[in-house]
Amino acid sequence: MHVGLRFWLPAFTISIVLFLTGLTVLQAAEPTAEDLEFFEKRIRPVLVTHCSECHSSGKKRQGGLLLDSRNGWMLGGDSGAAIVPGDPEKSLLILAVRQTDKDLRMPPKQKLTDSQIADLETWVKNGAADPRRADIGKSDENGAKPKYGMSLEEGRKFWSFQPVQDPHVPNVKNSAWPRQPIDHFVLARLEAAGVTPVPAADPRTLLRRVTFDLTGLPPTPDEMDAFLEDTSPQAFERVVDRLLDSRRYGERWGRHWLDVVRYADTCGNASDYPVPQAYRYRDWVIRAFNRDLPYDQFLREQIAGDLLPAASDAERFEHITATGYLAIARRFGGDRKGEHHLTLEDTIDNVGRALLGCSLSCARCHDHKFDPFTMSDYYGLYGIFESTRYPYPGAEADKKQADFVPLMTPAEIDAFLGPHRQQVAMLDAEIKMQEAAEATARNLPDSPEKAKAVELVVKALAEVRQKRATTVAQEPVINNAYAVADAKGANTKLQLRGDPKRLGDEVPRHFPAVLGGQVVPADSTSSGRLQLADWITDPRNPLTARVIVNRIWQYHFGRGIVPTPNDFGVRGQAPSHPELLDYLATRFIESGWSIKQMHKRILLSQTWQQASRADSNEAVAHFASNAKLDPHNDLFWKFSRYRLDAESIRDTLLYVSGDLDESAAAAVHPFPPQHTWGWTQHNPFVANYETRRRSIYLMQQRLKKNPYLALFDGADPSSSTGVRLPSTTPLQALFVMNDPLAHAESTKFATRAMSMGLDETTRIAAAHQLAWNRPPTSDELQASTEFLDLYRARLAELKTPPDQVDLKAWSALARALLSSNEFVFVD
Amino acid sequence: MTVMKTDNCRCSRRSVVQSLVGGSLLLPGIISELLGANDPPSDGNPLAPKAPHFTPRAQRVIFMNMSGGASHVDSFDYKPKLFEDHNKPYQVPAKMLEAFALNNRVVEKYFKRPDWEFKQRGKSGLWISNLFPHIAECADDLCLIRSMRNDHPDHFQATLGIHTGSVTFARPSIGSWISHGLGTVNQNLPSFVVLAPLTPYAGGQVWASDFLPGCHQGTPVAPGAEPIANIQRRQSDTSLQELELGLTQAFNQRHLSHRSGDANLTARIKSFETAFGMQSAAPEAFDLTKETDATLGLYGLPRGSTQGFAWQCLMARRLAERGVRFIELIDTGASNNWDAHGDMATHGPLAKNVDQPIAGLLKDLKSRGMLDDTLVVWTTEFGRTPFNTGKDAKGREHHAEVFTSWMAGGGVKGGFSYGESDDHGCAVAADEVHVHDFHATILHLMGLDHERLTYRHAGRDFRLTDVAGNVVHEIIA
Repeated sequence: MHVGLRFWLPAFTISIVLFLTGLTVLQAAEPTAEDLEFFEKRIRPVLVTHCSECHSSGKKRQGGLLLDSRNGWMLGGDSGAAIVPGDPEKSLLILAVRQTDKDLRMPPKQKLTDSQIADLETWVKNGAADPRRADIGKSDENGAKPKYGMSLEEGRKFWSFQPVQDPHVPNVKNSAWPRQPIDHFVLARLEAAGVTPVPAADPRTLLRRVTFDLTGLPPTPDEMDAFLEDTSPQAFERVVDRLLDSRRYGERWGRHWLDVVRYADTCGNASDYPVPQAYRYRDWVIRAFNRDLPYDQFLREQIAGDLLPAASDAERFEHITATGYLAIARRFGGDRKGEHHLTLEDTIDNVGRALLGCSLSCARCHDHKFDPFTMSDYYGLYGIFESTRYPYPGAEADKKQADFVPLMTPAEIDAFLGPHRQQVAMLDAEIKMQEAAEATARNLPDSPEKAKAVELVVKALAEVRQKRATTVAQEPVINNAYAVADAKGANTKLQLRGDPKRLGDEVPRHFPAVLGGQVVPADSTSSGRLQLADWITDPRNPLTARVIVNRIWQYHFGRGIVPTPNDFGVRGQAPSHPELLDYLATRFIESGWSIKQMHKRILLSQTWQQASRADSNEAVAHFASNAKLDPHNDLFWKFSRYRLDAESIRDTLLYVSGDLDESAAAAVHPFPPQHTWGWTQHNPFVANYETRRRSIYLMQQRLKKNPYLALFDGADPSSSTGVRLPSTTPLQALFVMNDPLAHAESTKFATRAMSMGLDETTRIAAAHQLAWNRPPTSDELQASTEFLDLYRARLAELKTPPDQVDLKAWSALARALLSSNEFVFVD
Repeated sequence: MTVMKTDNCRCSRRSVVQSLVGGSLLLPGIISELLGANDPPSDGNPLAPKAPHFTPRAQRVIFMNMSGGASHVDSFDYKPKLFEDHNKPYQVPAKMLEAFALNNRVVEKYFKRPDWEFKQRGKSGLWISNLFPHIAECADDLCLIRSMRNDHPDHFQATLGIHTGSVTFARPSIGSWISHGLGTVNQNLPSFVVLAPLTPYAGGQVWASDFLPGCHQGTPVAPGAEPIANIQRRQSDTSLQELELGLTQAFNQRHLSHRSGDANLTARIKSFETAFGMQSAAPEAFDLTKETDATLGLYGLPRGSTQGFAWQCLMARRLAERGVRFIELIDTGASNNWDAHGDMATHGPLAKNVDQPIAGLLKDLKSRGMLDDTLVVWTTEFGRTPFNTGKDAKGREHHAEVFTSWMAGGGVKGGFSYGESDDHGCAVAADEVHVHDFHATILHLMGLDHERLTYRHAGRDFRLTDVAGNVVHEIIA
């Protein structure tokens, strides 16, 4: 079974053909036949005879300049564009051949004849018609090998750009081991390498592992007991279902997505204006994971939600909220205009890395050095986002938000703003009344009474005007979203060397050639985002499904089948199990792009359920012999132990101390009201809001990272984080040892544990259960008991008031448990 | 079981820990630090000292950053013609106009004379103005670079540029790169410390490690009671914290014994030892009570003060002595700084605040024999325009086209000047030193080849100097 391959190839081929026959680069005005004839007869010979020696891609490239294609002279050399069509006086090439400037004389050896110079002037003046087309830097007009990177032909042969296959499930020798097809793929590789999978983890380890995996929190002691007592074969599957149904699942896996799309609560411009509405997108992501929104629809709504049909206002508002994905692109600069091209660059960069696993943005200034993406591909996407209206979050020069999208119907807006409008109307009426009174007063005959009356009414008028101004400034903000809308659809022009001031030819809005090269219809007046969403989620797109199943695998195993989840290109790493990747991608699409079904497929596999450590002498030898052959566990012969991430450490600390706030109300940040905003680049927005909610709800700034998340290697809110690289620093240890939060929670934990039994031994056991999901061993119990005795004795020596001794000693025990490796590592 | 003795309430950590060890079945080995053993940093430690690419001239960097844009023509770049041509018209090239507000981009501007007199200083005869009379006394140690150029005329971007080489995208700071390249010799202190009273332009991006491992990020230290976050233990007595850590590490050792060979577990165990050490090493480093009056006087720091640039400079020397690899001092922050649009006179008090402390630092390092292998760098994100829109303007605008930075010690030529601006200080006239060249040279002095100091991220090898940068060999002694 091959995923639509039969249907896919012809369509693919047609679009490529269309693409290559002249649609790649449109010209502002098509040259006439006469212009072209003039070029062929009078210009080409001069260029070939006198210039090509030093300025052609096959030979030299003096001064960075190529004169063997139109794009060569448009892109120009080190001194800038060589020719400005229509303007010989601004064209460096003309100035050079005239040889009037002592620093700019070409050709260096022999001046051209006057008639040759005149021809060149005429040619430039008439628009410099030049049929010699080549994708910039990509290949010369003879289609020779590109100077760097991959040609389209080579690109199509690269593994990640080939259609997804549905490989056969391989046979294995040890047929007793596999439980899922996944296991066959993994075991086949292991057997070939002479490595044998290790035994399954014990149930206690498994429950802790799966609960952290799906919810970011540990199981409770009751959940542990229930699981250990349930001996039915479906026990584990029931746990997985329970966890997938929990709201905490979306709070965990939604966070993974927010890493990839570099979510932040501020916009990232020079004064880092807050975006109080950004949370709506964050919460949409959490809801989407919880209701298992099919991944293709998940992407469609984020790219073009505003353009999708909706059955109700509520659904329409959900769709609009989803486009927060585009809206949260980073802002730059300090005014309304900002440096919008950088925001578009940030959008394309993220669409590339997050959705397609491609570093598309490398093609902003030059054709991609390694992957088959051209500048034309880049600006084909650029035009789509340039035709999109981004909301304006406020900046130094203009502090008021603009172009946010209402999440209310016009009637609701009227009702919502009614009281405020009425208030303004009343003030307007009062102003009119006072103005009339002023006129009356001024018409009085001159007298001390008149002066007094005028003075009074002027004062009253000023007051009421001031009151009106204040009232207007404090207009309540309607429910709205940091979301995008369509602007007028238009193609963009190529930016030479990524400089928005140096424009090249117009490029049609299109999808990168190697991914299909589909083009937005020339007569389309919309942005093309709807088409883009369809192209990205087309089951025949070779990347989208592979990229997401690889991410899912990575978050379950700690490493992706492709270890570079944001780069499936030449510079990324190749998949360790290419057939498995395709197998998963195929099943994923077949299941209706269901992420939850993919979780089950993986979690119920033997591969995922393997132990991470050896618990017998026999096992130690087994681990050791495997490690010799595959030291980094690239073949998945065991589960790799990992440290909890920043969010899970903090969430678990609060959770086991009974202090986690899991209320259902939306977690909205307490930003100052908009009418008070006055941040500048000299005085940027900086805040850190304390909360007992889960860490996904911590306010995250672009410019000044949340100090806790930064300390524990949280995601970078400025660029896509595909893999978090955990660091181990003394500053983290200092947090655990001395931070007020660590101390407050350990005291709460201690209070909780002390209430969990009548005698100290029971309480100590309960504390270990809470922190580690297992009872203490006898030596740990003994050490804890002795520790409490020692600590109490020391406290007594230090003249601690007797009524404080117990809680202090217990808090210290709590800190030792909560700062231990067993607490922060998952087996 | 043995409970520790309480003579004068002073129980040694060793006895507390050993009593715990002795009284329990648990503990084959408790933390080495607590027992007094001092293991050399392991290979798995990304901060362990690493060999440079070639013999370095400097072991550490003190990087001083004047926030807001310090004027070159009023300080270190003497332009007699600018005095002469005061109020004469100047046709401003288009690229320099971008530094002006949109409504202020008239091409014809007027030269503005510097507000401070210049004199030749020291044996070398370097021209330095009266703005920095104390630094001027150290002229023979200074290596001026009068042809610096940055890529952007706005604070935010230019500040990122001078730190990371990139004026747009988030990249690791130069301090993070050097920490990554060389590690650090004192495991009880961070490798990269930033002494900054206020948030600079671009905030924490200035010292971020970005894609480099997090241990290389700058540790921001603000003057005050707790310079490093959570450095002060909360227990009323050290012995209590030692007991607690002893139990943690006992738990960890037992945990490790069932998971032998896991470097992540041992690294975390080690991090608690370092943190424990930092609790005393950092306060000791930040404790100025043992400095003599003469030393404090050299910096102009009143006894007991933990504020001001004098404090930052003296702390820089102390951290340098204790093996910190890269120490950055940021003067002021994103406001009330060197950004003298309104009136150049505001440079006066700002210079006064840093002048004696910087000279004090140079003299102090020299007298201790540390200047030879400590590279001191003084810079700003850009200079200021030698001209302005009207005649007799008081202030100057942003000017990234040319400005002056200087270095001292650490293998550079003293009493030396490199590069030139044109007659009025408007543009580079000779030997441009772009920010990338500046960075390449600093790395070179530290024994690092800027083309070999790379990190693989997002599919390619990144460098501090991107795809550019040339070492300025002419300034190396």
